[in-house]
This record gives sequence, C-alpha cells and structure tokens, in this order.
Amino acid sequence: MAPTTQQTSRRDLLKVAAVGTGAAVLAASCSDDEEYTGRGVRVLRASEVPLDPFHDIWRDAPFTDVTLGPQDVALPQRVKPSVTKVRVRSVHDGKKIGFRLEWNDTEVGDKTIRVDDFRDACAVLLAPGDADESLRLMGSAETPATLLHWKADWERIVSKGDEGLDQAFPNRSVDTYPIIHEIPADEVGIDSYVAANATEWLPAIHVKNPVAGKAERASSVEKAIAYSFSTTTSAPTQDAEGRGKWIEGDGWRVVIVKPLGARDEGEIALKPGTVATCAFAVWSGGNRDVGSRKCPATKVEALELDA
Amino acid sequence: MAEVTNWQLNRAMYYPYEESRPTRQAAAVFDTNKCIGCQTCTIACKTCWTSGQGQEYMLWNNVETKPWGSYPLAWDVRELQLLGPQTWDGDTYTGNTIFEAAPAGERNIAWKPTELDYAYPNRGEDETNVSITTKRYNLKLPHDMWFFYLPRVCNHCTYPACLQGCPRQSIYKRPEDGIVLLDEERCRGYRVCFEACPYKKVFYNHTTKISEKCVFCFPAVEQGIQPRCMRNCIGKIRSFGFLSKPEEVREDNPIDFLVHVRKVGKPLYPQFGLEPNVYYIPPIHVASDDFLTMLFGPGCLDSIAAYKKAMNGEDPELLAALLLAVSTDRIITRFKLVGNRVHAWAENGDQVVDMPLKVPTVERVPFDPDLNVYRYNFT
Ligand code: SF4
Ligand code: SF4
Repeated sequence: MAPTTQQTSRRDLLKVAAVGTGAAVLAASCSDDEEYTGRGVRVLRASEVPLDPFHDIWRDAPFTDVTLGPQDVALPQRVKPSVTKVRVRSVHDGKKIGFRLEWNDTEVGDKTIRVDDFRDACAVLLAPGDADESLRLMGSAETPATLLHWKADWERIVSKGDEGLDQAFPNRSVDTYPIIHEIPADEVGIDSYVAANATEWLPAIHVKNPVAGKAERASSVEKAIAYSFSTTTSAPTQDAEGRGKWIEGDGWRVVIVKPLGARDEGEIALKPGTVATCAFAVWSGGNRDVGSRKCPATKVEALELDA
Repeated sequence: MAEVTNWQLNRAMYYPYEESRPTRQAAAVFDTNKCIGCQTCTIACKTCWTSGQGQEYMLWNNVETKPWGSYPLAWDVRELQLLGPQTWDGDTYTGNTIFEAAPAGERNIAWKPTELDYAYPNRGEDETNVSITTKRYNLKLPHDMWFFYLPRVCNHCTYPACLQGCPRQSIYKRPEDGIVLLDEERCRGYRVCFEACPYKKVFYNHTTKISEKCVFCFPAVEQGIQPRCMRNCIGKIRSFGFLSKPEEVREDNPIDFLVHVRKVGKPLYPQFGLEPNVYYIPPIHVASDDFLTMLFGPGCLDSIAAYKKAMNGEDPELLAALLLAVSTDRIITRFKLVGNRVHAWAENGDQVVDMPLKVPTVERVPFDPDLNVYRYNFT
C-alpha cells in the first residue's frame, strides 16, 4: 500500500516526538507497519476506535497476516480460494473493539441487483476460549460465535445509495406497478411500497427478512450469531459499524467496530486484559463467492486484548 | 449421500437427504398437443404473484416453443451439455443424474445463468425445427417440419435440487402435499438454489435481493382449488391433482391414472434425477423420436401410442380422464366413466364434474323465425 500524505505526516510527527521530547515509550509502542510477534492478534489499547480505515491509530496497531484457505467442509465449497491472505489489526478503547482488515482484490464487487452480481465481503468471528480451534467453523451448538459481517454492497448503500434498477437495467421499461400505480414506475422504490402499506409485493421485506434489500442503511456490518454452519442468524441488536474503501491496485481496507460488551443472547462479551478466539473470512464477489463459497482463515487466532 | 428410489429412472440414485415422500404429491399433467401458446397461464401467474418491483423478469410460469425456445436462454441445452452424453437401457437410466455427476465441492452439476440469459423470454417463439420452404412438410403425421409449446412451472420435484443446494436449509418440501417452498424470511440471497435447479425455476428478486419461486398457489390448494395457471388455461391442457406414492396408486385418481396406469404423462428431463412432478403428454406430430426421448425419457413413444388410441375412440376411459382438464376450478381426486358420462368428485365428496364423453351434435335449421336471424352450422 502506498503511504498517504496523512500517514507520512503521522510518521514524521512520531519521529519528532521521539527525538524532541524524549518520549521513547511512545515511539516503542508505535508499531508503524510492524508485524505482531506474539500469538494471534493483539488488540492494542488506544484512545479511540476510529471507523476511518486510514486513521493514524490503525498504524499504531501491530498487524497479523492471516492465511486464508479453501472452505472444504460444508457444501457448496470454495475449493480454490480467491483470496489467500488478510492483514488484520485491532484496537480497543475500553468500550469498543475495532478490526481493520486489508486484502487484495482486483475488482470491486459492491452490487447485488443482477442475478450474477455477487458482493465482496469480510467477516470477523469472535468466540470465547483461547484460540479454540473447535469454534473455527462458525461456533458450536454449545458455544455460539459472534459474527461481524461487512458487506461491500451495504457499504455502497451507506455511502452513496444503491445502484438502483434504472442504472442496473438502463433499457428497462415498466408501465406501472399494481397498487402503487399512481407513482411513475421509474420513481418507485422500496419506500413507495412501505408508504402504501403494500409490502406484500416485496415478499422478503414483508416478512421482515433482516438482510432483505433496503433503500437506506445505517451500517455496512451485520452482527450475527451462529451455532455452527447453516445457523447464522442476524442479532436483534445491530450495533456493529463499518467503513470500507477500495483502492485500485491495493484492494479493500475495511474497519469493523462493535461494543466490547454483549447485548444479545449468544453474543460474546470481551474484556480488556483477556484472551478470546477469533477467525476471519473474505469473499470475492468477482469470483462468485457467496455464503459458504468463501475463503476462511486456515486456523483460529488468539485475540489478546491489552488491559 | 443417501440412496433413494427414483421410479422415473427405474433405479436407486444418490441424493443428499434420505427418501421422504410426501403423503401425496401435488402434481399436474400437461397435454402439449392442446397448448396454443396463448400465455394466459403466464399472465395468470404474473398478475397474481410477480408484479412487484424486482420481479419484472420473473416468470414462474413460462411457455417456450420447442425446439428453439428456452427461458432462461438455452437452460436445458446448457445443463445437458454440462452433464454430457448419458444412456438409458430400456426403461432404466444408466447414466449419471445431476447429483451423481457433481463436481468436487458441489452438490450437483449446475449451469450458472447471467443476467443476460434472462433477456430473451420469447426467443425461438413459433420457430419451426427447420427453415420453412415451399415444400409442404406438414401433410403427414408426424410432421417433418414442426414445433410445439412447452409450458413450464416449478416441478415440485420429489428430489428438489433447489432444496438440497441451499446451505441454510431455507427451502422445504411440505409433507402433506409435496409443495416445495422457499422461506422468504430465512433466505439470504446466496442463489445456490437458483443455480442448482436445472429447470431454472428459482428466481432472484432484484429489489429484495432474496430468492423466490413458484408456490403452486398453495393457499388455493389448501382449500381444494387448483392453482391459477391451471384454472385459467385456455387450451384446457392442464390436469392438476395429487399423485399417490408409487405403491399406493389409485386407478380412479385421474393424475395416478394418467401417470401410472395409462402412463401417458411423462416427466420433463427425467435424466436430471429430480423426479419432477409436472408430467407432459408428448406431442404426436413431432418427427424426431430422439428429440422427444431426450426431453421426456424412453417411455414417450408408448405414451404417444396410448394417446392416439384414446383419440381414436379405442380407450374411452383415458379420453374421460383427459377431458377432466380445466373442467372445474376444484381439485379432482376421483373420477368415473359411466356409459357416455364422465363424473368427478372433489376430496370432500362434492361432485364437481358431470359431462358427456361425446357432446351430441345438433343441427339447426339455418333460419330462426323467432329472432329473425340466420345461423349457420359449422362442423
Ligand atoms: S423445479 Fe427447480 S425449483 Fe422447482 S422443486 Fe424442482 S429443483 Fe426446486
Ligand atoms: S394457458 Fe394453457 S393453452 Fe395457453 S399457453 Fe398456457 S398452457 Fe398453453
């Protein structure tokens, strides 16, 4: 990744701080592009947990390179992973924990309208224990896993709105939609059905499918609880946030943030100064990755939270 | 993988789940010889189920002209191409099903359509198998130059590829009537079912981003009423009812009679291995036994022979069963031919059909003095 102006100036400032004020401790704790040499992923204690993937605080956190491999357990599988490495950094501020994931993908997949549009995505799995390998595959019946799933198409909706049917299908022509026929067809959206109390025409929205399309979104991250494969369920409280940016040639830089505490049944409560289990996964939409067709970490990591 | 029986293949086959047949199976028999390609069925379904935003391209019911028509584009040819050449030994399928031919890491062979494949719903419509020339090919039966209409809905398969494909188990088959439904609340739009169904009868909603499929009008079926596409069929080609388990076949159940007794109803692409439950009476005018066998399996020629017999008056019972198609909105569970009259009953015992097998011909005098009009008889 090419250093940005902001990053360069941060590095310079640190040098000045170290030399000029004799703040050797500060310089030593700064792991500017430094690999974590301990076990697993270190969660650095920071003054805040920034959402911006390019915030200087992320450079202070030592990184761990996590190897991604095939998903060869549940069917359908992704036998040949499309992404083989994700670089992970983590910080907490005593209230929230954040992860910054960085991986290369040559094209952006942030649309899901067409039948063959698949999104880029990444996920953090959090579970109790100390790098408990038995929980790698989405937790277990006894010990649920908390999943934080960032979705590139949700990110797009948060930042600039959905692509929209007119853009996805520029030559489409619709005379009218029943029930909401007074609205010109090209102005119809999910909101039109909601306002007309006619969501029966949008079945998944009518039955309140938690991941069904939305005109607007507050967050690009879904918090879910899983008790093994096929059991992922959206958590009742959606309090995870995210921010992602794709850079030509470099791929995705994504931040995922959640409160340290737990608010939902099965959710993990993380405490400063303790160790937990974490794992990661990446999906490449351009490779039709979706659901179990994913690139998971080949092993779980210990998540070591600074006190 | 479990070993299950597939009577359409006359052998056991592999399927990811144990055999679990519904008590009875909602099923239909379509007489391709009577379909006029009017698309009333398509519109009946469209206006009922898929007229919302995001469903524009969805045709849970479509009618394609064979041999060239297809929706999505070349769905069957591409699936067959992936499967490769396969063989039958008499009535026994000796080739691989789409489950048995699954590539590593997948549950079945699956052609993955793109958005563009849905852009030509009426491709090949009314096109004949060969280019039209001045030679009059059609003055003999079967015709050398031919086409026929193939109306298609979800087959509510005994071994649904959509169901076994879903990693979230969001698709289920109802034990009471075998209708295959997709749970709109549980689905996450992964589209594995959409790819897995070889008939391409699962659709992805562009607006809700969740998959949807034909529901066989289950709210109507639960009340003893036939699905909309069946009720509205102009050509009266569609018989709808319940198919019994193979060992519990009842001769007086019209669907059992057509499928298991007279064996005129044949499955579409049985070689895929899903045991589909929409059956077809193959067209009698198509001069390509190979093409028909590819579509409807090796029994299709016997089916044509049996059908012709009925049409020639040599099998009045079969004719009676065929005449029941779209004769009532109610679901018929029992029928009987008494003399020249066909009787049929709904499940609750109501008699819903009483009609002559042969309608008497009445010749009127051309002039009606009461109304002072002329009427002509055409026969
Ligand atoms: S036809 Fe396709 S969608 Fe319908 S039950 Fe069979 S596999 Fe599923
Ligand atoms: S309504 Fe009946 S006759 Fe018309 S196209 Fe459909 S199946 Fe054929």
